[in-house]
Amino acid sequence: MLKRMIYQRVVLAGLMVVHTCLPSSAEPLKIGMVATLTGAAAEPGRDETQCAKLAAEEVNKAGGVLGRPIELVIEDSQSTNPGSVLAFSKLTGDKDIPAFIGPIFSTQIQALAPDIQRIGKPVMIGGTDPQLTHMGNPWLFRFRPNDTYSARVIADYGVKTLGKKKWAIVYSTEAFGTNGMKNLVEALKGMGVEPALVQGYANNSQDFTAVVLAVKQSGADVMSTYMPFPPDLAIFARQLRQLGVNIAWVGSPSTVGTTALRLAGPALYGSYAVCDFAADSSPAAKEFATKYEANYKSAPDLYGAWAYDAVHVLALVIDNAKSLEPQKIREAILSVKGYPGVEGTYNFDQNGDGLRGYNIVKNDNGKIVFIKHIDFSE
Amino acid sequence: MAMGIALQLLFTGLGIGSIYALVALGFVLIYRATNVVNFAQGDFAMLGAFSMVVLCIDMQLPYWLGILITLAAMLVFGALFNFAVYYPLRNRGFQPVIISTIGASLLLENGVLAAYGPRPQTLPGFLSFPGFSVGPIFFDSQYLLILGVTVVMVTLQHFIFERTLLGKKMEATSQDKEMASLLGIPVALMIMLTFMYSSALGALAGILVAPILFVSVGMGSSIALKAFAASIIGGFGDVIGAIVGGLALGVVETFGAAYISVPYKDAFAFIVLVLFLLFRPQGLFGEKVAEKA
Repeated sequence: MLKRMIYQRVVLAGLMVVHTCLPSSAEPLKIGMVATLTGAAAEPGRDETQCAKLAAEEVNKAGGVLGRPIELVIEDSQSTNPGSVLAFSKLTGDKDIPAFIGPIFSTQIQALAPDIQRIGKPVMIGGTDPQLTHMGNPWLFRFRPNDTYSARVIADYGVKTLGKKKWAIVYSTEAFGTNGMKNLVEALKGMGVEPALVQGYANNSQDFTAVVLAVKQSGADVMSTYMPFPPDLAIFARQLRQLGVNIAWVGSPSTVGTTALRLAGPALYGSYAVCDFAADSSPAAKEFATKYEANYKSAPDLYGAWAYDAVHVLALVIDNAKSLEPQKIREAILSVKGYPGVEGTYNFDQNGDGLRGYNIVKNDNGKIVFIKHIDFSE
Repeated sequence: MAMGIALQLLFTGLGIGSIYALVALGFVLIYRATNVVNFAQGDFAMLGAFSMVVLCIDMQLPYWLGILITLAAMLVFGALFNFAVYYPLRNRGFQPVIISTIGASLLLENGVLAAYGPRPQTLPGFLSFPGFSVGPIFFDSQYLLILGVTVVMVTLQHFIFERTLLGKKMEATSQDKEMASLLGIPVALMIMLTFMYSSALGALAGILVAPILFVSVGMGSSIALKAFAASIIGGFGDVIGAIVGGLALGVVETFGAAYISVPYKDAFAFIVLVLFLLFRPQGLFGEKVAEKA
């Protein structure tokens, strides 16, 4: 009897020791993530997951969420819409996941939207199609400024700061490029400017001579581009310089993506771009860029920065809400005001849009120099 | 100005067209030898370009050595391709072989993706100067090099097929395998040699085009589609036809883009293809399709 009591106490004491030594042995809190790990967008997908992991590590180091460490559960969307739907349905099968990091590509988010509405749990997104947060789906929360703002910033900077009135717009004829072009034409119209040239092209063009000659002949003194694929952008930039076109260039965020910079090299020197992430735009962005480079040996760009913010904001709001109830998390996200993220300062509105401004940056001999941040109140 | 623009378009069109022509040549040679279309031809170009990145960028070898090693490796690769993809299915008609080449293409692209990652690579141009301007026209040095190499390869190929015993044996094999083997020509060896040469030729196209279009997993398939159209326009199975077809396609799409519509640039190539299929299915230089069937 005595023996048995001693035995029980020893076991209990052992358990106590184990328990106190592993304070984080609390059940991890799972966060789902749909990312493009393979397929055409495998490269941005890797950046995105690396940024999310970095944020999760930091959250866990600081004590986790509700006393629990967070664990990212990542599913591959294969860079396609059906792949995204499949990946998301795998994640929603796990009832323990209270919230998700969704795709950066607008078309994939459109494909997921009906499922998201049905599941009724919050999804952080990076797609910039303005429609996404304006179609009555209360579960989408955007961590990048949408494209109406990029167009307004391009127009504002080109017309007011650079003082240019003859515009050429070059855009890809798919969804992103066409939307960007329409928003920019609209924004320019608001400033009384009619573009001299609006020129579309199809993705994966191997030769841009015709486009360059059209820009040259239009007599434009400033050009803006909505070109999503880095190789297209790089071939275009090089042919532009070869044929002697050296007008001012204010491009969309992909103009300062790391791949485009590497492929195009000197052909992009001197160009301006709007960009939601710029390492020098704030102390938070700078600190994040340093940490990212130390961890992954490459510079972070717009494809990943938003996911870093999304994980941090999600951790913060779940702590604030002290609940994993979807409705409570939603309310907590919408009440985030003045959060200093690496993409900018987050002020969520009732549509779920967190950011309303862009940085203007300049490519100064390959180095991206931050010029200014333009924010809109609505 | 208008004249300058037209000449600029002509130069670029010929440059891009000669890339199609080089890849089309590979299509045509294998088609002549085996009567099947090799859908992995574009991936030979991709492999050649990646090999150059590994040898000359990652391992810092000089270009001439990188090119030599790449071409030698691709000759070996062509022989392996012959044994793995074509040889086991050679007596099963053309459909299983075509599907086998499509499978090989998927395997190669995803294999390189898994091994090298998704990031597109750059390969600096081979010549030390980017090009020069004459009046309003800019001559890109890499395009000049491609045009030059195409002329050399076509001449060399013509010489081999018309003037050497080896070439005549390969020609005989492509015309009639049964007759050729009765005459003592080792048919299987001739076909293997064709695969080896086509694979090195494809790699050469990839090496040449890498500084212009960058090095990515999908680079081969987009060129191959146009090259395939070019070889049909030229008359499938005809060497001169593949060259003329490739150049014509490059010029047509460049002019079409400039004077009609940029977004429909790719469509012009395929409109020309459809017109040929409708009105001259044997192509520019081909014999009647009926004779080939």
